[in-house]
This record gives sequence, C-alpha cells and structure tokens, in this order.
Amino acid sequence: MIQADLYIILPEIVLALYAMAALLGAVYTTKDGMGPVLVWTTAALMAVLAIWIATQDSGTRVAFGGMFVDDAFARFAKVAILLSAGAVLLMSQDYMARRGLLRFEYPLLVALAAVGMMMMVSAGDLMSLYMGLELQSLALYVVASLRRDSAKSTEAGLKYFVLGALSSGLLLYGASLVYGYTGTTLFSGILVSAHHGEVSLGLLFGLIFLISGLAFKVSAVPFHMWTPDVYEGSPTPITAFFATAPKVAAMGLFARLMFDAFGNAVSDWQQVLVVLSVLSMFLGAVAAIGQRNIKRLMAFSSIAHMGYALIGLAAGTQAGVQAMLIYLAIYVTMNVGTFAFILMMERDGQPVVDIDALRQYSRRDPGKALAVLILMFSLAGVPPMLGFFAKLGVWQAGIDAGLMGLVVASAIASVIGAFYYLRIVFYMYFGAENEEPIETRSSPVLWAALMGSAAMMLVGLFYQFGVEGAAAAAAATLVN
Amino acid sequence: MEELLREYLPILVFLVVAAGLGIVLILAAVVLAVRNPDPEKVSAYECGFNAFDDARMKFDVRFYLVSILFIIFDLEIAFLFPWAVGFKDMSDVGFWSMMVFLGVLTIGFAYEWKKGALEWQ
Amino acid sequence: METTILFAPLVGAILCGFGWKFIGEKAAMWTATGLLFLACALSWIVFLGFDGHTQQIEILRWIESGSLSTSWSIRLDRLTAIMLIVVTTVSALVHLYSFGYMDHDPQWRTGESYKPRFFAYLSFFTFAMLMLVTADNLVQMFFGWEGVGVASYLLIGFYYRKPSANAAAMKAFIVNRVGDFGFALGIFALFFLVDSINFSDIFAAVPTLAETQLTFLWREWNAAEVIGVLLFIGAMGKSAQLILHTWLPDAMEGPTPVSALIHAATMVTAGVFLVCRMSPLYEFAPGAAGFITVLGASTAFFAATVGLVQTDIKRVIAYSTCSQLGYMFVAAGVGMYSAAMFHLFTHAFFKALLFLGAGSVIHAMHHEQDMMNYGALRKKIPYTFWAMMIGTLAITGVGIPLTTIGFAGFLSKDAIIESAYAGGSAYGFWLLVIAAFMTSFYSWRLMFLTFYGEARGDKHTHDHAHESPKVMLVPLGVLSLGAVFAGMIWYGNFFGHADQVGKFYGIPVAEAAAGGQNAAHGATDTDTVTTSEAGHGSTDTGHGAEPTDGKAEGEHHAGFAGAPGEGALYFGPDNHVLDDAHAAPKWVKVSPFIAMVLGLALAYLFYIVNPELPKRLAANQRPLYLFFKNKWYFDEIYDAIFVRPALALGRFLWKRGDGGTIDGFLNGVAMGVVPYFTRLAGKAQSGYIFTYAFWMVLGIAALVTWMSIGGGAH
Repeated sequence: MIQADLYIILPEIVLALYAMAALLGAVYTTKDGMGPVLVWTTAALMAVLAIWIATQDSGTRVAFGGMFVDDAFARFAKVAILLSAGAVLLMSQDYMARRGLLRFEYPLLVALAAVGMMMMVSAGDLMSLYMGLELQSLALYVVASLRRDSAKSTEAGLKYFVLGALSSGLLLYGASLVYGYTGTTLFSGILVSAHHGEVSLGLLFGLIFLISGLAFKVSAVPFHMWTPDVYEGSPTPITAFFATAPKVAAMGLFARLMFDAFGNAVSDWQQVLVVLSVLSMFLGAVAAIGQRNIKRLMAFSSIAHMGYALIGLAAGTQAGVQAMLIYLAIYVTMNVGTFAFILMMERDGQPVVDIDALRQYSRRDPGKALAVLILMFSLAGVPPMLGFFAKLGVWQAGIDAGLMGLVVASAIASVIGAFYYLRIVFYMYFGAENEEPIETRSSPVLWAALMGSAAMMLVGLFYQFGVEGAAAAAAATLVN
Repeated sequence: MEELLREYLPILVFLVVAAGLGIVLILAAVVLAVRNPDPEKVSAYECGFNAFDDARMKFDVRFYLVSILFIIFDLEIAFLFPWAVGFKDMSDVGFWSMMVFLGVLTIGFAYEWKKGALEWQ
Repeated sequence: METTILFAPLVGAILCGFGWKFIGEKAAMWTATGLLFLACALSWIVFLGFDGHTQQIEILRWIESGSLSTSWSIRLDRLTAIMLIVVTTVSALVHLYSFGYMDHDPQWRTGESYKPRFFAYLSFFTFAMLMLVTADNLVQMFFGWEGVGVASYLLIGFYYRKPSANAAAMKAFIVNRVGDFGFALGIFALFFLVDSINFSDIFAAVPTLAETQLTFLWREWNAAEVIGVLLFIGAMGKSAQLILHTWLPDAMEGPTPVSALIHAATMVTAGVFLVCRMSPLYEFAPGAAGFITVLGASTAFFAATVGLVQTDIKRVIAYSTCSQLGYMFVAAGVGMYSAAMFHLFTHAFFKALLFLGAGSVIHAMHHEQDMMNYGALRKKIPYTFWAMMIGTLAITGVGIPLTTIGFAGFLSKDAIIESAYAGGSAYGFWLLVIAAFMTSFYSWRLMFLTFYGEARGDKHTHDHAHESPKVMLVPLGVLSLGAVFAGMIWYGNFFGHADQVGKFYGIPVAEAAAGGQNAAHGATDTDTVTTSEAGHGSTDTGHGAEPTDGKAEGEHHAGFAGAPGEGALYFGPDNHVLDDAHAAPKWVKVSPFIAMVLGLALAYLFYIVNPELPKRLAANQRPLYLFFKNKWYFDEIYDAIFVRPALALGRFLWKRGDGGTIDGFLNGVAMGVVPYFTRLAGKAQSGYIFTYAFWMVLGIAALVTWMSIGGGAH
C-alpha cells in the first residue's frame, strides 16, 4: 500500500532527495564552487524527470487516500513546469556567474520550488494543496532576494513574502471555511457536497477566499500588485523563472481546485473568474504602456496573459481547460525566449532594462532583432504567430461557453496591449538613434533559447511535440 | 457537574502550589538578598535594549536568524508531542514518517551549521 | 502540347522579365519571342488537327474547399482552338513587331532598359489570355480575366512618365472592376445554384436554371436571366461595350503594339468569348440575349458616330474596335455564336493589321498621332500604305456581293448583319447597317487623310518620314494575308451549312423534320464556296431554296441537336437563325455592301474632291459635331455622376469619417483615455506594501459583497 503510494510520487521524491543530497554535498565541499555543476545537474535531472513523466501513460492514479492525484492533467503541467524551470536555470547560469550570484543554493531552491509546484498540480486535498503551495512560495521568497546586497532585491523578496503570507492567510481561511461547511478537506468530498444551487453562503465565502489566494499566485487583478515590484527587483533570471513555471503551477492548481472540488458549481465561480480575467487583461494592457523598464513591462504582460488564460478556465468546459493549457504552454515558450533576450541586454557588463536602449537595435544585430520581433508579435497575438492561436483557442472556448462579452473585452484589451509590444519593435527598427547602444552578449544557451522560441512561434513547430493531444487528454481527465 | 469539577481538582491544586511557591520565592528574595542598587540594575530589562526608546532602531539581523532557527526546532517539538503520545498505537508508516521528518530537519540543521549560521561572528 | 502552349509565354515572361540582367537584353527579348512563336506554331497544329471533340487536360488539382472542388485544366474544344490561334498568332507577330517599334523610344533616356520589361509584360499578358481561353471552369477563367486586366494595366501605363498614361491605366483598371464585379456576382450565383463552377456541370444544369427563381436585389428573377445579365456585365467591361466603354479610347496611351494585341485583337474580345462559351446559358435566357443584342447594336452605332470625327489615328481605330465588338455581340445576342466567333477571328487579323499599320505610320512620323498632320504619305511609306489599304478593305467589307469572295471582314460582317435580320432584331439590323456605312466612311477618311492629299503639319517631320524596318513589315505582311484570306477559307466552317458548322464545333446535327418551317435551305455540300454560293443564290426564292448541287431537298433539313455542353457551342432546338440567315432576302444581303460603297463615296467626296466640305459641315452642324467629337459626353457625364460624387464621398469619409470620427475616436482613446488609466495604474503601484495589501483586502471584500448580494449564494 505505502509502496504503491510512494511509487506514484516517485518523481517528486527523487527531486526532493536530490535537492537535499546536493545541499549537503555542496555545503560540505566547495560550497559556491559547486554552483555551475549543480545548475547543470539540476537542469538535467529536471529534463530527465520531464521525459519520464511525459512518457508515463498510467492513466489516473491516486495516492495517500486521495491527497495526491497523478493524472494526465498533472503530468501535462509537471512536464511544462520541469522543462521551463530547467530551461530558465540553464539560461541563468552565465548571467548569475558573472555577477557573483551563482550560489549553490540557487539551483536547489529552484528544484525545491519545482517539487512544490509538482505537489500543487497533483493536489487532491486542501492540505496537500497548501503544502505544495507553501513549499513553492518559500523557495521563491528566498530566490527573489538572492541578491542580498541590493536594496531592490531584498525589498522584492520582503514584499513578496509579506503579501504572500497575507494571501496564504486568505487561502487558509478559505480552506477552513470550506472544511467547516463540507466536513472534509478532500476535493472529492467537497465535490459531492458543493452542488450548484446548494452552495451555502459560508461555502461560497470559502470558495472566494480560496480563489483570492490562488489569484495572488497567478497575479490576477486585484491581487497582482506585488508582481511588477518583484519582477523588477529580483535578478533577471529569477524574474524569468517567476514568469514561467510558477504561473503554470498556479494555473494548474487553480484549474484542479475549481474542477475537482467545485466542478458541480461551475456557475458559482465562473462569474468571479470572468471579473478577474477582464480586470487582469485590461490592467495588464493599460499599465504596461507607461513602463520603460522591460522587466516591469513583462510583469504587466504576464498579468494580462494570465487574464487570457483565465478565459479558458472561466469557460468551465473541457475545451476551455484544453485551450488554457495550450495557452500556458505557448506563453511559457514565449517568455523563455523573451527573457533570454532580456538576459542578454547589457552595457559595459551591467544589465540594462530600459527599453529606450533598444533603439535601432536591428542595425546592430538584425538576427536577434528579428527573433525579438517575432516574439513580440507573438506576445501581442499577431497572426500567424503562435501567440495568436493561443488567444484564438481560449476565445473559441469562451464563445462556445457563451462568454461573448468576455471575449469581446479580451479582444479590445489585446488591441490596447499590442501597443507596448509593438513599441519595442518600433524602437528596434525605427527608433531614433541611441546615444548609448547596448551590447547583447549571448551565451550559446541564451542564443538557442531565443532563436528556438522565436522559431517555434513562427513555424508552429510547437504543435509537433504532441502538445495539442496531451492538452486534450489532460483536459479530458480534469473535466468529466 | 460535580463529576466535571472533580476532574479539574488536580489543576486547582497545581495552581495553588504554583502561586504559593512563587510568593515564597519572591518573599525569600526580599528577606535574604543583599541590596546594592545602581542605575543599570534598576532599569527595566528587555533583550538588551532600552525599554523606552524609539521602536524603529536598527538591531542585528542575526537576532532574527537565531530566533527563526529556534522556531523550527520549536515546531519540531510541537509535532513530536502528539506523535509521542500516540506512539503505542503507531504503525510502521507513522514511525518512519516521523523519522523522515526528523531526517529532513537534520539535513537542514547540518546545512545551517556548516554554513555558519549558528556562529555569532 | 496544349500545356506547352499555355506555359511557354509564362516561361518567356519570367525569363525575360527577371532574367534579362543575366542573359542580356537582346537574348531575353528573343527568348520571349521565340517561345511565343513556338506556342503559335503548336496552336496552329492543334487548330488544324482538332477533331471537334471536347477534351479536358488536367494540369493540377486546384481548389478543394467544402463543396467547391475544381482542378486547373485545359478545356480544349473548337472555341478554345480558335482563340488559341488568334491569341498566339497576333501575340507572336506583335512581339516581333515590337523589336522595331520599341527601339529608341523617346520616352526613355539613353541607356535605360525598358524593352525586356515590355516583352515580359507582353508575354505575361499572353499567358493570362491563354489561361482565360483555356479555362475549364469559371474561377480559372476569372483568374485569366484578372490576369489580362493586370497586364493591360501595366502596358497602358507602360510610359509611366506620362501622367496621361497613368491616368488611362487607372481608368481602364477601375472601369473594368465594375464589370468584373458583375462577372464575380454571376460566378457566385452559379456556384450558389449549381454548386459547381465547372463548365460541364453548369451546362448540364442550365435547363434547370431556366426554371429556377433567384432572389436578387429587390425581387425574384429567372435565374438564367439574372446570371446571363451578370456575366454579360463582366463582358461589357472587358469588351468596352456601351456604358463601360470609356476606358478603351484612353487605353491608346499605351504603346501601339499593345493597342494592337490587347485592345484590338485579343483581350477586348474576351467578352465575346465569354458569351459564346456560355452559349448554353444564353440559349435558355432569351431576355439576357435580347439585352446583349440591343446593347451590342447601340455600341456599334455609337462608337461609329464618334469614330467619324476623331483626328487621332489610334483613337479612330479604337472606336472602330469598339464598334466591331458591338457587331460581335449582336451576333451572339441573336443566337448566332458561330458568326460572332467568325467576326472575332477575322477582326483579330485586320484590326491588328490596322493598328500595327498605324504604328508604322506613327513610327515613320516620329510619334505624331494626329491625322491632321499627315497627308501624302503613300509614296513615303509604300509598304505600310498597302498593308493599311488591305486592312481598310477588310474592315469596310469589300467583296463581291452575294458570293463568298471578298476580304475577311466582308464575309464575317455580312454574316452578322444577316444573322441580325434573321434573328428578328430590326433594331440591331438597321443600326448595324448604318454603322457599316459609318465604318466605311471613317476608315476611308483615315486612309485619305493619312496617305492622300497634301502633306500637312510639320514639314521637317514629313521630310524625314521613312519606311519601317523589316521586323515591323513582316508582321504586317502576315496579317495582311489573314485579312485577305481568313474569311474565304473558313467561311463554311463558321457560317456554312449546319452540317459543316456542327462538324467544325463538334455539335451533333440532327435531321430536322421535313416540314420544319425555317430549317431548310439550299445546300449541304461541304465545299465551302459552293455551299455558300448556293446559300446566297437561293435567297431569291425566299425559303426552301432550290438545290444547286443535285441533292434532294428532303435531306437538307438539318438542325443542331445535342445536350447543352456537347460541343463547343450550343444552339437551342428553336434556334434557326443560321438557316434563316442563309435564307434572308437579297436586299438584306446586299445592304452592307451598299452601305460600304456609300461610305467610301462620301469619304472620297469629303477628303479628296472637296477637302473644304467637312469643315463647312462641322460649322453648320456644330452641336452634332461637338456631340460626336466629345464622345457623346460620356466622360463628362460620368465625371459628374460618378467620379465627382465618389471623390466627394471619399473626401468626406476620409476627412470626416476616417480622419475626424474614427481617427478622432481612436486617438482620443489611445492618446487620452488609455494614458489616463495608465497614469492611474502607475499611481496605484505606490511601492508600499500596505497599499498592496489594502488593494487585496479591498478586492476580496468587493468579491465577497458581490457574491453574497448578487451572486450565486442560496
């Protein structure tokens, strides 16, 4: 019995054991000297685990009395989490090493955060949900302030921590309300008692608090305020990490909670998600226009993108979940490429984040400029880039679910949002000559990440990896 | 009602003994102690800080470190108590679960020790 | 072989247009020309060896979309074969001619390269035209239709330094859009009703269409009629028929070889080709056919009147083209598609000849185009003169009345006029006869003004007038042969007895009932000349002529049969125009000849005997003169009715609608509202944790309130 349970969570155990062993190994040897090695071994392990999980075809398995669920949905999310976390780790190595930030704890914290995220998407109980969430969050709080001598970085870490604690509190409060009104913390138990039309006010409150706590993690408006500051203050590789894997995990958890626990009361949470989605899309689009700092800009961009992904969730249908998963996969791919480029931006060895520095960049490096152009177009949702099809998918799901108003609003928001993406392109190609041009030193890894992600946007290589089928299977297991 | 109150009798006894012992000790100090006051001695004591001062003063972050490290082990105890109480009816899984937990904690402890977090300087 | 014909010009265009930098100008031009001569030779082989059976040669699967499934294939039947030789022959000759004509064009500075571009356009045009005529379905045809439109646009505007050429190119393109819109609507309607755009399917469905009602605009119509008219609107645009004709005279801004190829021999006849191709449809749409007749006759008459007073040599010929196209439409409208094709065929030769001759004159006169500055050029450019003379004899219809001996235009034009009479269209018949008179007048006027009389205009130019080089004269010679003999050789095939025509087009011929009231006439012999002679000769007895070749009358009651789509043309069971035309009264048959003689005589009187007469007449009849001179004020009317209001509307939409409302709104939103919110969002992002926490709490409070008051709580 326990052996079977342990076998189900073997990937998580392997990663956790690795992290602890590596921690001890490094601290008793050369400490930070092990940093580069650990980055590579961690990324390699993540890749191996991702392949392992992806090739598993074990249907739906439940461990620990329903507290841990391993199904197609969890596997899809885990593969996305592991791959993006591994990619970001590799991308960050050069940047961190040159700025003396490559402590050996960094890859291990990322690994532990990944364990937490894997727990989140597999959660089948409010307690395992919270455990995964906290494991993830605590690791992230630490990496946010990895640059201890920078006021901004520590401020980012502290803000993230304090607000994260607040949101955890809200989440816990919601969880206890739900427990109080249903008498169980198991999702399957909640599902039975929370039928639409029979949801009591207390349970509804619990639901809203839970949603609020999760909305903080996906940085949906009005629980988004931490995002720009944390994105700006954290070292850029950490920002890249924040923008990718945790978003997938949080959205995955969101979907799992909504469907596994409240799947019989879709119309109760649907309207809340619609509001969050609309607010996120508009705020993301409008607020980003004022940003000159590309990291803050990407923060608002991710807020907006989470808004679009929420459309799929708000649809409350299988097609919606499938569209959401594909959206997340595409979003992560786009962000990996974009942050690869941001990591390259520097002047005299110092990182540069001002978008004004990009003026006339296309003259200096047309190849990379073209890749960024493609990524920006894709982020803005310009056909025929992949980002457009991501949006198209969630819109289709939204329309089919009768959320026409939401879809129209989202189209308007995407038009507004296109402005700041295209402004970057404009600067690169038509901007007035800049006094202080930037250099873009690229390590092979960064170059490959940028070009690979841009190529995927363009040629739809993306779909060649069976993403669509996997997302469909994932959605089917979640919504039934 | 009678029954219920009788169950709490040991607590009442405990309270009386505790209060009595406290009073005895304080009075003993009054009677027996040598009195030699100076300003340092009579001022209020609080963790090495002045009791009545600006609250927004700087103090060493290592205080926090130590206290956080302490809290971890504090919580460990909080976990261990119920576990120890139910130890008799515990399955192997329950036993090994706590061992794993302690193991993880030990790894953390080893790490912070080696990292030098426990040294003041 | 057919595929080679189709693609040789395309290959030529690509090699010449893009490859001349690598292989050199001369080589590029010769490549294009050589490939066209190859296509031309193959076309003649196809035409002469064609057995009348429709073939479909698939090139590739083209469109697969829902129920729209079609392949790109060549439909080879007699109609296509005729067009193939017309297009490739004229095009090949024009390519050759252009070597001389385009040399040292004063529009370009020395050293500038323009000739390969010209040749590439010409070859591209030829490819598009071949696409059009070989089409096996309407979309493919539309592709060619638009392709020739583009080529025409590029070639009219070839002298892009001339503002007038650019304006003319745009006018041609825009006016054609109007027609193309009708054409496209017709295609849509057919697809809507038949669910196919392939000719075979459409033809098979035509009888059903004639009984179908289609709601269009404000009421229900007979589907066949509506589609017939819509398709004809497309034809009107391309073939410059009345209402949509205004672009053709302006198109003369293009180089003269272009006028000869596109605006005389080939592209403008695409409309006639379309109507003939869709003959099964028009056989079931008498209303649409009647409309075509009336419009064709009106155009023939109108264009001829305008041609009377023009002084630009190319414009005279352009109006003449317009007028001749009217003839063809009358023939098609009364149901004598074969006669329309006949005139199309002969017209291609003599009109190309006239244009190329005019080009030769212009070349000789250093690009002077006003006939008032010509005169007495006969001796200076004798070859050109003789070529033009043959062309004029052909277009005016010189021949021996009541026989089939005559120049090409004599036979084909008479065939049309007789058909108009036989088709029962008195309006068409009389207008065509009058137009024939005017045709004769203005054609001879052109000859007399150019080659006879005294030299007028710049003396220096006249002194230096010189005969054109060989490369220009050879095409003239070849076309002259066509202008002389094309009518006589193929008369029987186009307008002979039903047996012969049926065999030529691959239409099954059935023996009609002996008592068929109109189906009989005098001859069935396959020998062209005797048959036609017999046909003419028999007219004095009215109908039911006496046989001249010894066969019993009963055998000759032949009529066309077969289902729509069988054979290249379709004649309905009630269509007896061919027989009726052969049986037309003698005066009808002689009338065009008389008109021609009168026109010649009048021109002789006006321009040789008494050159003062035209001026006096113009002064006497000033309003009429101005009316004709200004082309019936069509351009002015259009300017007032369409162009100015359209410009005004455009300006309104641009300034007020687009600039004021849309831009204003968007700019307001983009530069006022959005930045306002951006600033607001920026302010909200204070950087203080308590603000952030406050917002979170506010958010959750709002959500909880909303859900407990208005939400799904129960």
